[in-house]
Amino acid sequence: MQNKIEVTMGRGAVTIAPHIISSLGIGSCVVLTLYDTKWKLGGLAHIMLPDSKNPNGYHPPYQCADTAIATLIKELRSMRANPRNIVAKLVGGAKMFLSSDDLSPGIGEQNIISVKYILKRNRLPVIAENTGGNYGRSVEFYLDSGKVMVRAIGREDKEI
Amino acid sequence: MNDKKQLLSPEQVDFLAEMMNIGAGNAATALTQVLQCQVDLVIPRVFIIIDEQELSILNSPSLPVVCARMNMVGDVSGDLFLIVPEEQKKDLIRLAEQAMTGTGQSWRAGLTSQESDDLKLSVIAEIGNIVAGAYLTAVHDFCGLNIYHTVPTVATDMVQALLDESLVKLSRQVQHIIVVENEFMVKEKRIKTFLVMIPSIESVKTLANSIGQARMTMVKDGA
Repeated sequence: MQNKIEVTMGRGAVTIAPHIISSLGIGSCVVLTLYDTKWKLGGLAHIMLPDSKNPNGYHPPYQCADTAIATLIKELRSMRANPRNIVAKLVGGAKMFLSSDDLSPGIGEQNIISVKYILKRNRLPVIAENTGGNYGRSVEFYLDSGKVMVRAIGREDKEI
Repeated sequence: MNDKKQLLSPEQVDFLAEMMNIGAGNAATALTQVLQCQVDLVIPRVFIIIDEQELSILNSPSLPVVCARMNMVGDVSGDLFLIVPEEQKKDLIRLAEQAMTGTGQSWRAGLTSQESDDLKLSVIAEIGNIVAGAYLTAVHDFCGLNIYHTVPTVATDMVQALLDESLVKLSRQVQHIIVVENEFMVKEKRIKTFLVMIPSIESVKTLANSIGQARMTMVKDGA
């Protein structure tokens, strides 16, 4: 039986082959998938913010890049994944509204930079990404192959 | 655990909802003039939300919508969205087309598909402009707050993708989202729109104060 787990904004999940993890409507958020190529298990986080430094209160673990990656690695380790076999893929980080009076890089780009930096520090290679642009995306993460299917409105489906 | 707090009292929330009802009425009147046909309003539903997980339109996060995004400036600052589900965009554009040409003929004859798409988006931007103005006028009439909005930028995409950048701000601090779910009846077509207001934290306080004062005056006048 193949199950599909749907992850909403700011949440995450881990599972094993042959299941699927999906996440919908990704704009400036970044979806990170970590996959253990040997044991065919992995996790997905729908990350909203580049870091969890926030004087105004508490963030759930999967909401921010730093805590999300730490939580994913911890979860995968508890499933006996070997960090050496883990590869990362990134989707999202768009800037949805292009306007002439706002030329700042936006939260999407900050999210991507932050996630890549933290992955590098953890020595996790990013083997594929579909990021940036000005359109939203939905993803399906197939745990039997580690493939990530990226869908967007009015564009062809893309497998990374 | 969630330590977010509601900054508005239940009475203030009621008052805000009432203000948004009046705004919806204004919007229907404005649309009647623009579309040059009777626009009726089905009673709007107003939600004041403090957690993005409660946002009902995100129950289907990948729903295709067309969205006009504006910034509020003046006494209240923040983000403002007018959202129309993609399937109702066509109806809305056809109505605007009929109003402009007066005949029901297409005004787009002779345009390339790119030009035609741009024109459609600018129709939605203009409607966003008018509807947002109608709501902000209601706020002004009740509370005396001067709120302006910037020129809309329009995009068509999945609803959550369009809103997530603004929702991110919500997770950073205590904030309120005001959602007005409207249904307009035009020529037996139902057009569903969502107005999403995300005032900044200081602005929620400004709103709360002004609402408090406005209620006081109303009570006095009533007596």
